[in-house]
Amino acid sequence: MSLFVQQVILGLMLGGVYVAVAIGFSLVWGVLNIVNLAHGALVVVGMYATWFLFTHAGIDPFLTLPLDAVVLFAIGYLVQRGLINRVIRAPLFFTLLLTFGINLVLINLFLLWFKADFRSVTTSYSGAGLNVGAVTIPYIRLAALVIAMLLAGAVGFFMNRTRTGFAIQAVGADKDAAQLVGIDLRHVYALTFAVGAACAGVAGGLLSTVQAISPTAGEPYTLQAFVVVILGGLGRVSATVVGGLLFGLIEVLAQSQVPGLGAGWSNAIAFAVLVLVLVLRPQGLLGRLA
Amino acid sequence: MSEAAFSTQPSRTGRRIRRAILIAFLLVVVVVLVLPLTLTQQAADANLDPTTLGIDFAINKSIVRTETTIAMFVALAAAWNLIGGLTGYAAFGNVAFFGLGAYTVGFLTDKQHLSFALALPLAPLVAAAFAGLIGVPLLRLRGHYFAIATLGTGVAVGEVIKNLDVFGGATGLFPPILRHADALFFYLMAANAGLAVVVTWLVMRSRFGYGLIAIRENEEAASVLGVNTTAYKVGAFALAAALTGLAGGIFAQWSSFIDQESVFPIQYNVQMILMAIIGGAGTLFGPVAGAIVLEWLILSLAGGGASAVYAQMGLGVLLAVTVIFVPRGVVDFFGGSSKLSLGYFRRSLRETSV
Amino acid sequence: MGGRIRGLMSGIAALSVLVACGGATGGGTTTTTGADIILGAPLSLTGSSSKEGGLAKQGYDMWQTWVNQQGGINVKGVKHKVQIKYADDQSKPDISAQLTQSLITDQKVQFLLGPYGSGPTASDAVIAEKNSIPMVEGNGAAQAIFSKGYKYTFGVLSPANKYLQGVIDLAATLNPKPSTIAMLAADDSFSQEVAAAVNDYAPGKGFSVVYNQKYPNGSTDVSSLVAAAKAKNPDILLNSGHLAEAIAINKAAKDLQLNAKLFAYSVGPSTPDFVNALGKDSYYVMDGSQWTPQVKYKPTFYLSVADYTAAYKSTFNTQEDPDYHVAESTAACLALQKAIENAGTVTNTDKVRDALASLDVMTFFGEIKFDNRGVNVTKPMVVEQIQTDGKHHTVFPSDVADKQVQYPTPPWSQR
Repeated sequence: MSLFVQQVILGLMLGGVYVAVAIGFSLVWGVLNIVNLAHGALVVVGMYATWFLFTHAGIDPFLTLPLDAVVLFAIGYLVQRGLINRVIRAPLFFTLLLTFGINLVLINLFLLWFKADFRSVTTSYSGAGLNVGAVTIPYIRLAALVIAMLLAGAVGFFMNRTRTGFAIQAVGADKDAAQLVGIDLRHVYALTFAVGAACAGVAGGLLSTVQAISPTAGEPYTLQAFVVVILGGLGRVSATVVGGLLFGLIEVLAQSQVPGLGAGWSNAIAFAVLVLVLVLRPQGLLGRLA
Repeated sequence: MSEAAFSTQPSRTGRRIRRAILIAFLLVVVVVLVLPLTLTQQAADANLDPTTLGIDFAINKSIVRTETTIAMFVALAAAWNLIGGLTGYAAFGNVAFFGLGAYTVGFLTDKQHLSFALALPLAPLVAAAFAGLIGVPLLRLRGHYFAIATLGTGVAVGEVIKNLDVFGGATGLFPPILRHADALFFYLMAANAGLAVVVTWLVMRSRFGYGLIAIRENEEAASVLGVNTTAYKVGAFALAAALTGLAGGIFAQWSSFIDQESVFPIQYNVQMILMAIIGGAGTLFGPVAGAIVLEWLILSLAGGGASAVYAQMGLGVLLAVTVIFVPRGVVDFFGGSSKLSLGYFRRSLRETSV
Repeated sequence: MGGRIRGLMSGIAALSVLVACGGATGGGTTTTTGADIILGAPLSLTGSSSKEGGLAKQGYDMWQTWVNQQGGINVKGVKHKVQIKYADDQSKPDISAQLTQSLITDQKVQFLLGPYGSGPTASDAVIAEKNSIPMVEGNGAAQAIFSKGYKYTFGVLSPANKYLQGVIDLAATLNPKPSTIAMLAADDSFSQEVAAAVNDYAPGKGFSVVYNQKYPNGSTDVSSLVAAAKAKNPDILLNSGHLAEAIAINKAAKDLQLNAKLFAYSVGPSTPDFVNALGKDSYYVMDGSQWTPQVKYKPTFYLSVADYTAAYKSTFNTQEDPDYHVAESTAACLALQKAIENAGTVTNTDKVRDALASLDVMTFFGEIKFDNRGVNVTKPMVVEQIQTDGKHHTVFPSDVADKQVQYPTPPWSQR
């Protein structure tokens, strides 16, 4: 029983990471109708930023998160304004291909600068945890979960309580009408992508504390962000939170609790769930029909 | 896909250039097809006794391999074009069909000791049957949702196969090596590529093809006009799957070693779409041209040591430039129906920007 | 064309040597210089295994420098310098096959050195076979490709099934004796072979495998598996995977306070990255190693172990000892060199193949002698441990060990 509780806790914590990764992805997809294949690479930028500040300036990884956000916000704004805005009215594939190209360029830049070495952020408190009976709650993962929830809250607040958030929502709902009332589409698009990138940066900073950093470390996360957004449903922060936590749970429990199937099946199960959800409930578990 | 309705103006020069390009293209195809033939016999001999021949066969073997790979991608891109270009459904998981075809041949030749000739016809059948099966539920989805569902299917199929020990598990399968058969594999791949083009041509001229294009332009309207959209879409999907699965089946015997990693690579999905789009999605020769140009680039840039990093970056930049400036593909760019000029870039840019 | 001309030239060279030897009174000691021998090596210089690919290249380069300083490979008195042509296969099997063919035909390579990893090795072995070009590989330990009846591929590595056997043998000698094993393994062919061997071998040594689980290759989060393993309270935690997963498992073991007495991972701990990434958390961890700088072989050929280590440090201007990936790659070159010398021909690749098949030579890397599949079964594996001085030490078998094993591993809370 305690093992089950432990697994559930680990699943939620893994889910927290997925939430952090998927929030920005979901925002960009929902508002701009762009599936950003470079999202994982943006997460890796966040990882390297935290690693760099931690090893060269001695800054605690959790304190680097705002800096990651600022750096990625700037990168995101420029990428959208300079590149993606140029194809945003083209058919679906074009944005896919463009972001795939950006992904390729970024990964190879990492390879040039950082080589294929594995790096890690190991703090003095890494590995400390809270023991409740036979169940262990690692502090770092707990902190990552809490910060992911705070991030979700902040994005939700920004979208629903600020003028800029309203403008973004308006553009997402009807861009022509938004333009008529004087909203600068180019700026709002760039802003949206920048916020999405900033979220990726924070996610990367969090991830750097729990896993090894390498140029291709972000690849799985683009795919996982897909699954999370599909599971929860597009367009609402709360849906992403539910989707992320659920996916973390599914993955962990599929690894350990499904009799007859080992962890080797976890990818197969995750994607089978994805396809099933898409077919049976394409708007996501919490999504509204478009 | 209604955005595909770019404004284009046919011009006489354009048509002339197009014809010139087409002729040049056909010439290249003929040369490519004939080259291995002239050297094949010498090839076989050369392997036995390198000193008796005036011609160094070695060059041939490498070229044949490159051409085989290119022909394979021509088939993949042309097959994708049926569902992605003509029908307008963003299939992102065609690699599942490639892998299924490959594993069909791999399983039958390695584990069941069937001959390649008997195993190969089953590859497209298995792939098409699978496409028919998943096509019905998946093709109800649109846009990104269809893209992701197919992507997920592609990954899931590979993962399931990897976990089944009957299919070699993590070790993979080893179809027996066929010696001195390099030319055979080239012709099989080339035939499949040719088949894909012919099938596309037939489809484009048929009622079926008009139905697919109607679905791409406006599915509801097509349905109202009496097009059985489900049957049409599933048909196009299964046709694409059969051609892709056949390529996979040939690949399995050709490479004599397959595992999940080598026949379900996600990047193939991207590659075939990229080829179709760079060439011109929805056109007959666009995917062919795209596949030849891009795969040739990829193969000639590979292997350069540190420069491979730059080659990959170059590919990324090429991608960005293409989708931004030449969104209708190189076939259109080289005279299709619009004029070549600076204005072309500007117009392309304006049409898709905010 | 170049190959033919070169073949002709080396033929003439060989002929003139014969004439010279026959005519000269002091024949046999005179050497002349023949055409260069061209070797091809597809390697992962970018992509997922670029780290290991880079290490393999160091190993090849070291031998190339050395053999050319000697004047080249001595084939019946004619010295042939060596050129190695590299091609970056990006760690992808299909690209690797394509490049191997291109090396053979376009670059005219006469022999092949292996790529990195079991996938590329398998696809390149097919190309070697189709072209009848011998390939000596030092970086693909999975045995599957050696059971297919291929004739031209030889591996100098101890095969996958031996990777963690040494650790189990070592564990059987320890006091207090550990008795339970938790085994985690990635789902690639090499890792699965390692894990299967442990499951077969451990019970005979008095261990029970209480937890056995495979995970997807490249997993970044393995904490749920480590938690499940912890619930079984194992004395030994074994992993068969790769560097990234070894780091992830060690982190998760600390996070979840899995206090095994012995931690051993097939691949990863031997690399400097592992220590750099984990710091003190890497201490006590063991790995099964193909080679360590402390082994005590008495080579009859090439450098001694100490000289090799010194040469590595000066060549690459580093304080780090050579990793076993470097050593095994150099060893592959040595096997090929010796076989060419034994065969007494550069042009007849089948004779070189036969010479490889009957090769038996003692090198700094250990004995190289292939069985009829082309696997080097005679060389033992050693066990090394990252000890509390932050350095790698060889701890088993005892006749090559330079330090006592540090055991048991203290609980995480007391480190």
